Amino acid sequence: MRISDYIELSLCNLWKRKLRTFLTTCGVVIGVGALVCMFAFGKGVQKNITEQFNKVDLFNYINVSTRGGGREPGRSHDPDDAAWRGQEDRTADANSPRLDELFLQEVENIEGVEAAFAELRFPAQIRLGDKEQFTLVQVLSAATCRPMPLRAGCCYEPNEPNGVLISDSLVRRLGIDEPSAAIGRQIEIATLTLDFSLASLLRMVLSPGDQALPVARQSYRFAIAGVAERMPFGGMGDAYIQPEAAGAMRKLSLTSIWEFFRPAGEAADYSMITVKVRSPKDIATVKKELESRGLRTFAWIDQLDQMRTGFLIMDMFLLAVGMIGVTVASLGIVNTMVMSILERYKEIGIMKAIGAGDKDVKKIFFFESGVIGFVGGVFGLALGWMVSTVINQVVNHFIAKQGVPYMSYFSFPWWLCLGAVAFSVLVSLIAGIYPTLRAARVDPVVALRHD
Amino acid sequence: MNSDSFVMIEGLSKVYLSGTIRVVALDDVSFSVAEGEFLGVAGPSGSGKSTLMNILGGLDKPSSGNIKVQGRLISELNKEELALYRRHQVGMIFQSFNLIGSYTALENVAFPLLFAGVAKKERNARAEQVLEEVGLLPRKDHRPSELSGGEQQRVTIARALINQPKILLADEPTGNLDSATSKQIVQLLADLNRNQGLTVIMISHEHALLAEFANGLVQLCDGKIVGRQKMR
Repeated sequence: MRISDYIELSLCNLWKRKLRTFLTTCGVVIGVGALVCMFAFGKGVQKNITEQFNKVDLFNYINVSTRGGGREPGRSHDPDDAAWRGQEDRTADANSPRLDELFLQEVENIEGVEAAFAELRFPAQIRLGDKEQFTLVQVLSAATCRPMPLRAGCCYEPNEPNGVLISDSLVRRLGIDEPSAAIGRQIEIATLTLDFSLASLLRMVLSPGDQALPVARQSYRFAIAGVAERMPFGGMGDAYIQPEAAGAMRKLSLTSIWEFFRPAGEAADYSMITVKVRSPKDIATVKKELESRGLRTFAWIDQLDQMRTGFLIMDMFLLAVGMIGVTVASLGIVNTMVMSILERYKEIGIMKAIGAGDKDVKKIFFFESGVIGFVGGVFGLALGWMVSTVINQVVNHFIAKQGVPYMSYFSFPWWLCLGAVAFSVLVSLIAGIYPTLRAARVDPVVALRHD
Repeated sequence: MNSDSFVMIEGLSKVYLSGTIRVVALDDVSFSVAEGEFLGVAGPSGSGKSTLMNILGGLDKPSSGNIKVQGRLISELNKEELALYRRHQVGMIFQSFNLIGSYTALENVAFPLLFAGVAKKERNARAEQVLEEVGLLPRKDHRPSELSGGEQQRVTIARALINQPKILLADEPTGNLDSATSKQIVQLLADLNRNQGLTVIMISHEHALLAEFANGLVQLCDGKIVGRQKMR
């Protein structure tokens, strides 16, 4: 038999039982649609994360801290823990270099290093007109922030110390709808400082219920130079200023609790610095060099393997959920095919009597399962695409109000589209194995005897 | 027994179990059929006629004994070889027609060619030609339910002829037909036998028809041959 004949015959046979074929195929469509949605969501999340990492070229960065004294992202120390504090004092003083401006320059001379800068963040109140927002301000040099994607304006120049870059979600929260309208506007950044002046201490002692900490407010004026599309480094702050400007401000740094107890006037050591290498290939050598100086390093690229494992687990989970529908659909196919064979018992007998071999009979029913799988796969893919488009629109509609830029949460790579159809056909063929074997087993003598 | 016989059956037995009871359908049957013979097979119900026909048609396998068709040992063929034998060497005609209800006459006749891998255009052309031979071309687009019994049996004969077999096996082809139509159908088989040299083996209850058209007769009773005669 020719392939075209098999296809024509199976379409013809399926068409004869339109309703049943339609319902069975619907099952496959829903199953494949759900699976496709799940997978596209998993891929979309992974694509967004990887893209975001690439966009801020996070893989070019190494975080450096002193052994024991530095904080690793995601881990915090209790400063009351005496053992830990003792260790910090010992190791920081004995082996590690001080993380200060001098050291930054030294690091920049290491082969493969493009730039090194201190990572500083501090809480501040940002005011524009009568609107006020509490947020974290990140210190970034002009050179480092220049490649950032912007909504409007441009990055601050080294010669404009009062330039500030803010995120578009902050722009919205400050009551400006159009990012470009914010350019050039004056904002006020108010920092909190500890005030250990005599007056303040007296006030604390005399009215203890009034004010828990001797905190003072200090305001500085900045002009908005640009609006960033999204905040890099996972969006750790909503505003960026230059190191020079930050240096001139009185503020509480959040990098270490020890800053609270630093004697006034002493130059601050950074608890952590960030080193940017020219390309991810340089990471290993630069890391080694820094570690040989007794420093602790952390590179995002090392987390990539862990991330990949995470993605794999996520894929497996989504796949498992998506497979429920496909499994139910395949049982539907088995049911339909078995019914069809029982109904066509005599027809199978006739086919054999006029010269069909067992293989021909098997192939005829295999093709019928395959056609259900193919049609179900194609329409299932379409359904999955439609449903995810609708979900995407709805989600974006709601989170756009919070200033989050439009994002596609679903990804349909070509291999997913082809794979979904191929998988659907494969599952249908597997579902067709039992009915097909049953059809081939039909004894023509018995089949033709029954009228 | 003539060794160059067209169909040669030697010591053929068929035993099957019906529940726990052993049923002997055919018991040491031997006879031969000459090329171009119109052989009638007669016998009461349960005498093993249909079992003999199914074995000759390659649908069933004997418990023991040999069948040779054109010198080829059919009883030793495997399943796929038997399918090819059914497709190319024998054409079967049944009492209950066994047409596919959803197909037109033309599609039913062309159906065996599908398994032979013939292209659709040629399938239809050949089916039309055979339908013309049995005088049913004007009815080619009708489904079996729209055809009379005689017409349906003609479609079955056309289907049996489509692969140009050497042997036609007819299992009570007139069992569901009135006497006038029966005669027409057997006449058609006799014409094919005479004009195209086809060997026809036909089971029938109707002795008058066999006496009129067949030139040989095998009589079965309880799975055994009780008579073998040449009639003309």
